[in-house]
Amino acid sequence: MTLWRVFKPVIGLFFAERRVMLLAGALLAAGTVFAGIVLLGVSGWFITATAIAGTSVATALVFDVFAPAAAIRFLSLARTAARYGERLTTHEATLGVLAALRERLFRNTAQPSAANRLALQPSRLLFRLTADIDALDSLYLRILVPMAVALCTALAVAVVFGVMHPLLGLAVAAWLLATGLGIPVLAARGSIVPARRRAYRLEALRSRTIDVVAGQTELVMAGQLSAFKNSALTADTQLALSDGTLNLIETKVAAGFGIASAVLLGAVLYGVAYLASLGTISGPVAVMGILVALAALEPFAALRRGAIELGRTVLAARRLGPDLVTPANPLPLQVPAENLAVELREACVTYPGSALPSLQNVSLTLERGDRVAIIGASGSGKTTLLALLAGEIKAATGIARSIASVSLIQRTELFQDSLRDNLLLAAPGATDQHLLDVLSVAGLAELIATLPEGLDTKLGEGGIGLSGGQGRRFALARLLLSSAPVWLLDEPSEGIDGETARDVLQRLAGQMKKKTVVIATHIRREAMLADQLLVLEHGRIKAVCCKGEPEYQSILNNLRPD
Amino acid sequence: MSSLHPSTIALTREGLADTDASVRPNPVDGEARICVKKNSENERGAAIMQVLASLLWLPQAALLAKGATIIIAGSMAEIHWIVTAIIIVGVLRALLDAFGARLTFRKARETLSEKRRQAILALSQRSPLDIEKPASGLAASVIAEQADAILPYLARFRPARMKATIIPLVILICIFPLSWVAGLVLLMAAPLIPIFMALIGWRAKAASERHLAEMGDLNAFLLDRLRGLATIRSLGAVDFTAQRLRANADELRTRTMAVLRIAFLSSAVLELFAALGVAMVAVYVGFHFLGQLEFGAWGHRLGLGEGLFILLLAPAFFEPLRELSAVWHDRAAGEAAIDALDSLSVTGLPITDNSTQLQAVRWSGAPVALTVENLSFSHAGSHSPLFDGLNLEVRPGEHIALLGPSGAGKSTLLALIAGLAPVTAGTIRIGDTVLDANTSGILRTRIGWMGQTPHIFAGTISDNLCLHRRGLTKDDIDDALRVSSLHKVANAQRHNYLGEGGSGLSGGEIRRLALARMAIDRDAGLILADEPTAHLDKATADEIADRLLAVAAGKTLIVATHDPVLAARMGRTIIIGNKTCREEHP
Repeated sequence: MTLWRVFKPVIGLFFAERRVMLLAGALLAAGTVFAGIVLLGVSGWFITATAIAGTSVATALVFDVFAPAAAIRFLSLARTAARYGERLTTHEATLGVLAALRERLFRNTAQPSAANRLALQPSRLLFRLTADIDALDSLYLRILVPMAVALCTALAVAVVFGVMHPLLGLAVAAWLLATGLGIPVLAARGSIVPARRRAYRLEALRSRTIDVVAGQTELVMAGQLSAFKNSALTADTQLALSDGTLNLIETKVAAGFGIASAVLLGAVLYGVAYLASLGTISGPVAVMGILVALAALEPFAALRRGAIELGRTVLAARRLGPDLVTPANPLPLQVPAENLAVELREACVTYPGSALPSLQNVSLTLERGDRVAIIGASGSGKTTLLALLAGEIKAATGIARSIASVSLIQRTELFQDSLRDNLLLAAPGATDQHLLDVLSVAGLAELIATLPEGLDTKLGEGGIGLSGGQGRRFALARLLLSSAPVWLLDEPSEGIDGETARDVLQRLAGQMKKKTVVIATHIRREAMLADQLLVLEHGRIKAVCCKGEPEYQSILNNLRPD
Repeated sequence: MSSLHPSTIALTREGLADTDASVRPNPVDGEARICVKKNSENERGAAIMQVLASLLWLPQAALLAKGATIIIAGSMAEIHWIVTAIIIVGVLRALLDAFGARLTFRKARETLSEKRRQAILALSQRSPLDIEKPASGLAASVIAEQADAILPYLARFRPARMKATIIPLVILICIFPLSWVAGLVLLMAAPLIPIFMALIGWRAKAASERHLAEMGDLNAFLLDRLRGLATIRSLGAVDFTAQRLRANADELRTRTMAVLRIAFLSSAVLELFAALGVAMVAVYVGFHFLGQLEFGAWGHRLGLGEGLFILLLAPAFFEPLRELSAVWHDRAAGEAAIDALDSLSVTGLPITDNSTQLQAVRWSGAPVALTVENLSFSHAGSHSPLFDGLNLEVRPGEHIALLGPSGAGKSTLLALIAGLAPVTAGTIRIGDTVLDANTSGILRTRIGWMGQTPHIFAGTISDNLCLHRRGLTKDDIDDALRVSSLHKVANAQRHNYLGEGGSGLSGGEIRRLALARMAIDRDAGLILADEPTAHLDKATADEIADRLLAVAAGKTLIVATHDPVLAARMGRTIIIGNKTCREEHP
């Protein structure tokens, strides 16, 4: 079944993680429902039996009231306890499963191929990711648990009526399964497309709202603001259509259950009346049957939400499923020959979807301790070359080898976490003293000293709380913590003002003695750190020269002065 | 996965085909109030329908009790009628409930649409210079995801609240004449429920809010780390981060469960009282039948039918309360969403614009003169004005560089000339026309704009050039691409969907895209460019400057810049500073 194939990785993860809890949750949920049904049934029987017994004083005196009265009290307490236990276990299980789900997703998304895909469409995909994780909630809570409960109930109710008369038991079971499962299945089939469409329409509303707000100036100037605004409003109108369709299905399901329940009640009333008139069952048992029938369809109604949301859940499982299966470990970057730190031979790289190669026949050999600057205009392939050396992407043809490296990427990315935890990313076991040492090398000692909470200071989203220059210095400190022998620096002083930039670069130069360094740059002050210059143009090497050669100076002079 | 893109694109297209639909004008205040009143009346009507549906249980219960007495009497005589009646009433009940639910949903959805509409309208009218304007990411989250919480709140919570206030009361009224003891049992249990729920509920509410917030934190942690995945990978910290993610989630689970254990007591108490209430009624009725509890029925003795009827009503007495507690959390989320949406609908500093639909005027790109007289402007909340009595005269076809330190107001001046915010005092004249709310729309068709951080729209490169302006041909697009030397990239990425924030394009390419977007409009005679060469390498900066000058040939050009090389290529340099501007004297 295709549905099974879609859910298999998710359910597999659920069960690997919290098998006992998940089963216990379902059992307790069934217990709650049972206790409720039995309570009603016994109460009905008790009242009817006492009513009959009460007609004569003799029978009234011998009637054993204590067993049924105790049963009623016990059932009402049991029901409460089961309900409480059910809620605790299902929540515990769900939270545990979601924790595992996030971890697994993160690990798998961090694999190079997935990470590159993610980098292409960051925020949209990210929002989709969290929405999908949330949607998977409903698989356990709204589909699996109610399904288990409903099936248990159908079985138990069938046994109760089966004891009265086998045919009655069969008929009730058939009706419960046909309507109780048939209605949700029909609803689920009907809602798969609208629920999926709704998810897309919500994304459309989201991205059009961003277009109107973030692109407002461009739109006003092009005279298109009102058109784009209307298109955002249209997205909501279409979303409303999907909402309406789904609500119609949900309402129909509710009405369907109401009608099925009324028919069951009527039919059972007729059935037990017939059996009672034949003398097959006693009056009190007949009344018990009526009350059991009254509650029999209730657990099936709990499938309603799950059925309506099935389309969304399937979409989420389909999108996340591949990311839940851990891919085979990608081949690690090959190690170059002895003495060499970096080795590229005739390496070519073409990004998928792009007609032109980003790197063509690039060769580069660095010994340990060498420092090279890759120079080129934007789009010349500098960043691609660094990614190749870092093992982020594979060469389509040619050879790319490197020993372990650490990168300082163009954007300074800091996390919503304490300063300490931001630093520990680079060296998980580092002591506070070590952290303070590198911070002072990076020129942040004074700043840290002024912070009342020191290393425990929390940073906001995207590293808010540090200025651009401070952020860059912080990234530098993180780089210094790493023990990797190769540094890959992508425009290390970009986006910070001249004075700070020179200071950062000076500190960087002071620490790069024993390292092999590759710098991608278009700024003179950065290129000057290197002993060797390599000029890239349209993904090809245009020139290579070393310090001391006349070309070296002329290439430097061609670069932006600041 | 692959099915995703076409449908998203199809959606975009579908939506844009509809852009002609005129926006409904804002209803005037009085009208709006009537609308709201009518709406809430309709809403109440729909809820009442659902209440009535629930109350149909009373006749059904009576019929069942009657059926039981017939069975006990050992006859089958009237059972057909009762069965038929039970089914008919049941069907009626289901249909009435469905009808009411549908109506409630429609009203709720209309309210949601209206609130979203107001938020989008308000946001689109707020000036980009308004510093309090919410960021696009926040606005999108509120309008798209968070606003979804309004629907269950309006559609489920309110009817549930009405049921909880009416139905228990009606049931009590039906039970009391039969047995005051049974009524009293329920009456005693009922107020205890709200008291206990209030006691435990405030704890539960805090708990669930904290729980929600922390679940949100967990999502935020994951998002934050995925956003910075490049850094995490470059530092080799994937494993370390994954372990922390797990540890955080587990810690959250432990803490949440500790709170939930108490929070769930509120629903357990409700269950307990409901179950005990039913049990006590059943036991009382049973003992009453046996003659052991003779009192309670106003001196009579209850019959089996009456006893069963009371028993059947007892769970129905508690049902609305259970329903209400089940949708209780919808309320917090729904009210928070309404507040968030309403806060987006606040009007701030407006864009200077009154014109709704523009007549297409062709200007043929003739150079335009610009006069700024006694211009004053202050940012909201700022003590000193940014400009005070600024004067500037630009002749048609002149190329001007605006220089000045960061924060002096170069970008703001460009924005004011484009009518992106109202001036505090003074006049701006473009050609012969004074810029005001009525003329800004027309005047903007004469202005070409190249912003500093261009927004990349969801779509292809050519979607991003055209912005769905009408009358643009393929030749126009090709020309614009060529003049900004973007055609190679555009060819390579012809069908590629550009990512949000322009991923897939380099910094230089994004700038070229802004240039092409401006160049495609040949009518413009005045070009405003904000920092066109900032943060670019020398070669790219030179080329962008060449291209910009080529596009601006024969037109008026004003460039705000820090770049002395670019400024040197302009005809005249104006220094902005000290709330006004002055000619640069070399």
